[in-house]
Amino acid sequence: MLDLSAILQFFISGVNLGCIYAAIGLGLFVVYGVTGVLNLAQGEFVMLGGMLTVAFYTAGTALVPSLLMAVIIAALVGAMLYRLIIYPARNSSGSTLVFLTLGFAFATEGIALSVWGWEFKSLPSFWGSPNIQLWGATIFGQTPWVVGTTLLLVIGLFFFFGHTIHGKALRACADEPLGARTVGISTDQMALFSFVLAASLGAVVGAVITPLTMTGYGVGMPLTIKGLLAALVGGINRAEGVILGGMALGMAEAISAGLMPSGYHGVIALGILIVVFLSRPRGLLVAPGKV
Amino acid sequence: MRTVKEKIRALLSGREHRMVLALFAVVLMTVPLVAGPYGVIVMVDVGLYSIVTMGLILLMGFAGQISLGQGVFFGLGAYMSGIITTRCGLSPWLVLLVAAVAAGAVAIVVGRALVRLRGLIVAGVTLALNLVFCSLVVSLRDLTGGATGLPLIPRLPLGGFAPSNTLFSYYVVWIVAILLLVFSLNLVNSRTGRALKSVNLLAGGSEDTAQVLGVDIIRYKVQVFAVGAIYASIAGSLYAHYTGCIEPGAFGVHFSVLVAIMAIIGGMTSPWGAFLGAGLIVSVNEALREVMPAVVGGSTGAYELIAYGSILVATLLFLPQGLMSIWRRLQPQERFR
Repeated sequence: MLDLSAILQFFISGVNLGCIYAAIGLGLFVVYGVTGVLNLAQGEFVMLGGMLTVAFYTAGTALVPSLLMAVIIAALVGAMLYRLIIYPARNSSGSTLVFLTLGFAFATEGIALSVWGWEFKSLPSFWGSPNIQLWGATIFGQTPWVVGTTLLLVIGLFFFFGHTIHGKALRACADEPLGARTVGISTDQMALFSFVLAASLGAVVGAVITPLTMTGYGVGMPLTIKGLLAALVGGINRAEGVILGGMALGMAEAISAGLMPSGYHGVIALGILIVVFLSRPRGLLVAPGKV
Repeated sequence: MRTVKEKIRALLSGREHRMVLALFAVVLMTVPLVAGPYGVIVMVDVGLYSIVTMGLILLMGFAGQISLGQGVFFGLGAYMSGIITTRCGLSPWLVLLVAAVAAGAVAIVVGRALVRLRGLIVAGVTLALNLVFCSLVVSLRDLTGGATGLPLIPRLPLGGFAPSNTLFSYYVVWIVAILLLVFSLNLVNSRTGRALKSVNLLAGGSEDTAQVLGVDIIRYKVQVFAVGAIYASIAGSLYAHYTGCIEPGAFGVHFSVLVAIMAIIGGMTSPWGAFLGAGLIVSVNEALREVMPAVVGGSTGAYELIAYGSILVATLLFLPQGLMSIWRRLQPQERFR
């Protein structure tokens, strides 16, 4: 039973899931790195991206403008989250800020539920991409879009953080906020920017995965938790760690879904990751500082 | 002639504190005589939530340790009670105790790993544990009944017979709640409580100072984590016998966050805060359920989520010490009561 095509199938679904978790983890990483806030509302931006794209698309807008509008609205919501909720409490403890993002996540879920109802919603594959058969394994038409988008986001983020003045300023805030302020970087603006960036990232991911996984008002919290666990396992202080963690979770889920009776895969993958994290709390890629 | 303020201050401290406790107990025992059947049902919910919240307040307020996974222990208690009583026919009371001990043991194992992590990371990991617990319950279909739930859980017996459910549950839940309140108040003033006060930033302590003084922080934190788990497990067992049917949705991430919201709103500086937080949130919940469909229509769950989220944010921004802090302002010299 465990022939090449099965292994290939595990690998493909693993990469696909891994990309989703890595992308969500990166959203958490951007905000955590710059502001030290663990944003438990990250999954809500994924939900908003998906739901808004569906809403515009079903209202008759073409796919690309729908997606763009969804991302812009999510970015504005991200800015609101920072300005109205995080900023006034910026001097509180980390746990208070975690709870603030949780409160925001609850309210967002509630608003989504009252606007769109509880039904799951989906989109057709982008431009009708057909499923691909490869050595006996099936690649869903949407999978290349998910993987491609994540790759683009990762390359974009590395370029942004490595080669642009804004990216370097963000990194400066993450490394040494006081020093950043001394050289004239507005840590406040950078924090706002990190929330907007994370929200847009999340919304793009949400729109791209909708044809594959469907979306609904409540998908945000489980996605946040999985993305967070992926980020923690890999090391939330480094982008490479987050990507590694995401891939690890995706692979674990795909392999256990293939080998175990249905229903157990979620338990086993998350369980393994929790155990790995608790035994290596600094992350697989050892990061500086206490975790 | 003492002023009202002084009287309240006196009532809330020292010996007269016991009078408040007694008064609280008497009022609660007479509630069913005054309130209708609907009121009693609501109050059972308040009592169950209060017990879980009290455990979390001890953990967050005194041990300074976040947990967004109380649903795991609530669920452990409920499922252990449900499964063992339906399959083996043991006495529910005995199973309740066994489940509580087992939940405490699980908490000691998990807690040892968790206390070494930074607070906000613990929040994330406990949430993940809660998610895993729910998937596990759904997966172990043969044992737990899966997503459809575990039905036909027997009532709590009293002597040889099982009395009228709601009223009996009310008294059981609230007697347990009051006993646990007394235990909590004593714990706060015990060796463990004093050690934790020296650790907790809320109380003006510092972990480093405590460590230097030779206080074994980790041990005490794990102890309180276990206490919180035992509270949640007891409430879970009572809940299982009260409703007679349990399903995994009741122990999910939302339950855990809701309990945390109750703890924060009530105020984490005193076990009393649990009753304020649970009472307020359950009342808001009931009010929304009654009012909103009539006024706006649509699904009620939405307004509850919006209300919980907004109340949490508003509390943290404007009253970060919770409702109990309003009382505390009357008695600045007594921090932990």
